[in-house]
Amino acid sequence: MTAPPQIQLLVVQPTPFCNIDCRYCYLPDRTNKATVAEDTLGNLFTQVFASGWAAEGLSVVWHAGEPMVLPIEFYRRAFRLVDELRPADVPVSHSFQTNGTLIDEAWCRFIADEHIGIGVSIDGPQRFHDRNRVTRSGRGTFDKTIAGVRLLRRHGVPFHVISVLSSASLAAPQAMFDFYVGEGIENVCFNVEESEGGHVSETFAASGIDRLYYRFLSEFWRLAAASPGKLAFIREIDDATRQVLRPQEAGFSNQLVEPFAVTSMDWCGNIATFSPELLGMKSADYGDFIIGNINRDSLADMAQHPVLARMLADIRAGVAQCRESCEYFSVCGGGEPVNKLFENGSFATAETTYCRMTKMRATDLVLDRLERMRLAGDLTASAAGVATVSTGVASPVM
Amino acid sequence: MMEEPLSLRQNYLKTVSYLMPAGAIGVSLALGAAAPAAASEEPLGAQPSAVVKEGVSERLAAIRSAVSTLDMDRVTAAKGQGQLAWGNWGFGWGWPNWNNWHNWRNWRNWWRNW
Repeated sequence: MTAPPQIQLLVVQPTPFCNIDCRYCYLPDRTNKATVAEDTLGNLFTQVFASGWAAEGLSVVWHAGEPMVLPIEFYRRAFRLVDELRPADVPVSHSFQTNGTLIDEAWCRFIADEHIGIGVSIDGPQRFHDRNRVTRSGRGTFDKTIAGVRLLRRHGVPFHVISVLSSASLAAPQAMFDFYVGEGIENVCFNVEESEGGHVSETFAASGIDRLYYRFLSEFWRLAAASPGKLAFIREIDDATRQVLRPQEAGFSNQLVEPFAVTSMDWCGNIATFSPELLGMKSADYGDFIIGNINRDSLADMAQHPVLARMLADIRAGVAQCRESCEYFSVCGGGEPVNKLFENGSFATAETTYCRMTKMRATDLVLDRLERMRLAGDLTASAAGVATVSTGVASPVM
Repeated sequence: MMEEPLSLRQNYLKTVSYLMPAGAIGVSLALGAAAPAAASEEPLGAQPSAVVKEGVSERLAAIRSAVSTLDMDRVTAAKGQGQLAWGNWGFGWGWPNWNNWHNWRNWRNWWRNW
């Protein structure tokens, strides 16, 4: 590597334990109640800041286990530690990806006080959510999750949701839209149930899944546009729109293929990079994907680890294939390593089902809408619409 | 016969010149509203892109070129009025190198309410 790496996202596993047992979960160790040691966190953040690899700021996501199974006091101490170690000119933000079942008044106050970004995993209406998001005894978790969501709203805590789409919910964009609007959920992200690690998704394997996904997004977008002000953010649509309509000079890179841009640490200090899902998985070619332990190794040494070199060579070969063969390369930058590995059997490959859905069909949708406007030539009407919606509506982005 | 890149860009220039000044939400609403009446029932083969001759990469290049042209005009106009600032570039949308890990929403680039 020539230029020093830039860590942009640090995924920290405070505990591998999760209080629920979703049927599609890829985390292998989610019954383990271990907790990351304060020394391990100290070693991590000391090294990250000393390396200069996070000089432009750092986003920390506490994830890969349910973060709220640990007490608030754990995070109070952890955040204080980070703040003490952080150079004054390096901004750090913290976020939780949570199942929402443990949110209470105290958590809401803490989240608001600490300005923690919150993502709640909820799969839509109860009949969709409870199919997969269940307790260890198989009971649905919808009631507890929605209670957490309502509490966040009552406290005025901003949050987004991530909904995993199944074949049932993919066929029900209206029901999904009505659910979000009914619950006052304004920021929505969709994942499609994927095959990763030990989980093999039937939804993902179904033929024509990318067409279903296209139709879902298309109808969902139409519904959102017909009710301005109800949804502020639909990640898949907003990301695709931004990628299609970016100036040609605008920079773009795919952090998932850059070493250390996304860095993950498990509860015992093991470090992995590229797709966060790799940490905890195993492969014949790369072992457990671990390139070192923060309690024993320096980040500089990890950058020289032979497993990293092998992964990087294969990932770059895969990116080169994407560049050569894929019309959508400029919106994606070479795909998701974890999906290439688990769908195609190798990092050194190109297209995946994940690509087809999240990048290609979402891009197609935006292109189709632009094309529809261009071919119709009814720009006067469109302009009137734009003028209407732009009045008094501030852009949510810098 | 494929359209010349310049004419394709000119065609998109007209469309994006109407869209872009509305900002991210305005663009999203306008494009969202440009859907067929029952989008969920429309067969994929009936989408406009299925009958467009140009490939995806050509169309993306033409659209981005149009956005750049439009943006340059805007910056030039702002310069003439002594209003040039970094924020004038890109219609204030910002095109960061954002993270695309799918369990992550990139708060820093998307969230300004804190």
